[in-house]
Amino acid sequence: MALLAVSLNGPAKYLYWGSISISVPNLIMIGLIVLFFALALVIPFPKEKGK
Amino acid sequence: MSTKEKNVDLVKWSGPKRPYDLLKNLVFTLIPLTALVVAFALAFGSPDVRAVTLQDWAQAAPTDFVMTATGELAGTTRSASYGPPYNNGSEGQALGPLKLQKLLGVHIPIDPANDFVVEPLKSSREASVYTTLGQWAGANADQQSKLATDYTAAQNAGLSAALGQWTSASTDQQIKWATQYKAALERAGDRLKVAADPAYGPVQIMTASLLALAQGGILDGILTTESSPYPSDFTKPLLFLADGEYLGKLASTHHLEDGQMGMINETGSYPGQFWLLPLALLYQVDPFKSSENVDAQVFAVIVLLALGLAFCPKIPVLNRLPRLIPLHRVIWRNYYRKNNL
Repeated sequence: MALLAVSLNGPAKYLYWGSISISVPNLIMIGLIVLFFALALVIPFPKEKGK
Repeated sequence: MSTKEKNVDLVKWSGPKRPYDLLKNLVFTLIPLTALVVAFALAFGSPDVRAVTLQDWAQAAPTDFVMTATGELAGTTRSASYGPPYNNGSEGQALGPLKLQKLLGVHIPIDPANDFVVEPLKSSREASVYTTLGQWAGANADQQSKLATDYTAAQNAGLSAALGQWTSASTDQQIKWATQYKAALERAGDRLKVAADPAYGPVQIMTASLLALAQGGILDGILTTESSPYPSDFTKPLLFLADGEYLGKLASTHHLEDGQMGMINETGSYPGQFWLLPLALLYQVDPFKSSENVDAQVFAVIVLLALGLAFCPKIPVLNRLPRLIPLHRVIWRNYYRKNNL
């Protein structure tokens, strides 16, 4: 679609390890999940007003 | 386990408390997430690969289509030997003595030879479907009328005779005709290079007629609107498509096949169902990879893992993991620090 800023309809790149293969887009998503999990662990909870 | 630990759910909480506004939390989560979804949709869109139809297949790979239709008549395709829920072609997936697939029974009965080939040809004879073929576009109204009458009559006469010959023959004879024609197609590699031969019985005419139906887009309609005028059940066209080589080759180019861990992939460069990675990995390793019952075995492992997760607090060693990996102490570090725990 012309309106799209980024076209993702082209073929993805795949990484291979024996019979296991994973696409770079999937790897990015898994990396983001791990990153968000780590951030959720270290970022402090917002403090309540007046406390 | 001590008595204190056993009754931990019944003891009233006497530690510190903090206010929590559920509605505020919901709103503050929902608004940014909705904005993110809209922004991502505008930026990246969604996969837009068009659904594959029988018409696409018949037009792109007519010999594969004819060979598959012949295989349906010979009873040699994957659909014919799939077993439940479609037929009794095999017992299907089992888990040791537990025949899981057979236990569910044949509740979507499909006879590939009749459902994919014979019945669509019978139903198409009565409608003037062949008028969509031929030199229709360039003719005037009178010519179109004559063309339609002549073409329909000629086609229907040949097809009627072929269907009559097929239905009055014994099953052995039917299989013999189809097997011989399939072997000839495999030898020639092109349906147009296979000359007419009485050894193929009516199979050549039937499959050529089915090809014409499919190329005109009519077969898609017949197979999806048999049970309801609103096409929502694509079981038959999908099974038929999957019996040929065309769909498999397309899936392979999109990295969607079994051996490519296809279940976690999406077309193009979109991320796929990566949360199914553990499931997909099991399919790539032995003993599952080489097992005939891979689906049932992987299913059993996933059920076991789910049960392990559900009963984690009751399973020795597993229920001690938080003491070995005190991640919760990192999350609630302020509480543990304040209370010197």
